Amino acid sequence: MSPSEKLHALQADVDLFVGATPETRLASLPSWGSLAVLLVILHCETKHGLAVSSAQVRGCATVGDLLQLIP
Amino acid sequence: MHSSISSVRLAGLAVSTGSVTRDFLSDGLALGLDRVMLEKTAQTIGLRERKVAAPGVTALDLCEDATRRLLDAAGLDATSIDAVIFVTQTPDHAQPNNASLLHGRLGLATGAAAFDLSLGCSGWVYGLQQAALLCAHGGAARVLLCAGDTLSRLTHPRDRSADPLFGDAGSAALVERTGAATPWHFELGADGTGANAIIVPQGGARMPHDCKPLTEIPDLDGNVRHAANLAMQGGEVFNFSLRQAPPAVAAVMRQAGFTVEGTDGLVLHQANRFVITSVGRKCGFPAEKTPSAVVERYGNQSSASIPCALLDAFGATLVARPQKLVLCGFGVGWSWGAVAAEFGPLVVAPIQAYPHA
Repeated sequence: MSPSEKLHALQADVDLFVGATPETRLASLPSWGSLAVLLVILHCETKHGLAVSSAQVRGCATVGDLLQLIP
Repeated sequence: MHSSISSVRLAGLAVSTGSVTRDFLSDGLALGLDRVMLEKTAQTIGLRERKVAAPGVTALDLCEDATRRLLDAAGLDATSIDAVIFVTQTPDHAQPNNASLLHGRLGLATGAAAFDLSLGCSGWVYGLQQAALLCAHGGAARVLLCAGDTLSRLTHPRDRSADPLFGDAGSAALVERTGAATPWHFELGADGTGANAIIVPQGGARMPHDCKPLTEIPDLDGNVRHAANLAMQGGEVFNFSLRQAPPAVAAVMRQAGFTVEGTDGLVLHQANRFVITSVGRKCGFPAEKTPSAVVERYGNQSSASIPCALLDAFGATLVARPQKLVLCGFGVGWSWGAVAAEFGPLVVAPIQAYPHA
């Protein structure tokens, strides 16, 4: 899956990423917080069969960092 | 750990909830939080209302009320009970245990055993397994299983990761030895490496309560709590639930020979709608077979959530005829428990707030 496909899949699942680019800083997203972390974890699990921890998600600075969690 | 236990039946079920209604949206607005964000959270997680205990009411009171109503409905005398198991993490005292206090309040026979299990959201399934064992192999003919908590008392009002989630409730169930019944298939497990993910640090022997003022500490999201508050790492708990509950459900279904199509329902611990939907889907169950309405009306009731969801979604049916059900609880410890069994017909006392109106 290309980075662009991964971003589109994330945007389709979690609407707070609509309009974001890999360079977008997570802290700049108005809805970024504990709920968003849960939604990212669920997306990784259901779309990619991937178990990521909240610490991994919180360790990301940008949307691009998030996409790198997904192989 | 797997176990199959034969010759037991669930004879009765009752739940008493807290009587004070807390509304997620108005509570959040009162704290000065943004309405749009609150509404989005409510919609995504499934938070609406919860029932918390009135001042002075404890899990012991709620379970006593549920037990008395159940015994009345069943036409049974308390002296017919051979053992009482009380599942709670919010007992009245450090000593004695709640089971002994309830034993005294109900006037149980002095030959009746009484003990507590210190478990939360997995506790009802653990307790059911213990009650079944006592009936099948422990010399008991009838066991009273009580499970309840008042976790709303342990959260800090400005901890939005925990405080809006919890309601208070107490449940009572009667498990009996019987001649012919299909076996109950249990899967119990634990992963103590996650024990710090849901914790109340202060109040036990490691960090006793003292006379020093409690220091409120904010986290990265602005939530505030002190050492005597319940602290929960939501993301890690969610991951744990997705990781451990589905294999446990699959294991007991395999043992019981249950299929999704042939099972009447999957009753999960009512953590919140987001967790129930996610875990239920991963277990392969459609939403209509995975009830989640209880949590939106009563909140996360810890060990009382499964019996409350059972009563709410299947109570009327269970009175009339057997139902093939899979139950799964998961939470503090980390611990989890699943059971696949045919329950019913049984006696129920309806879900009711205590004190009674």
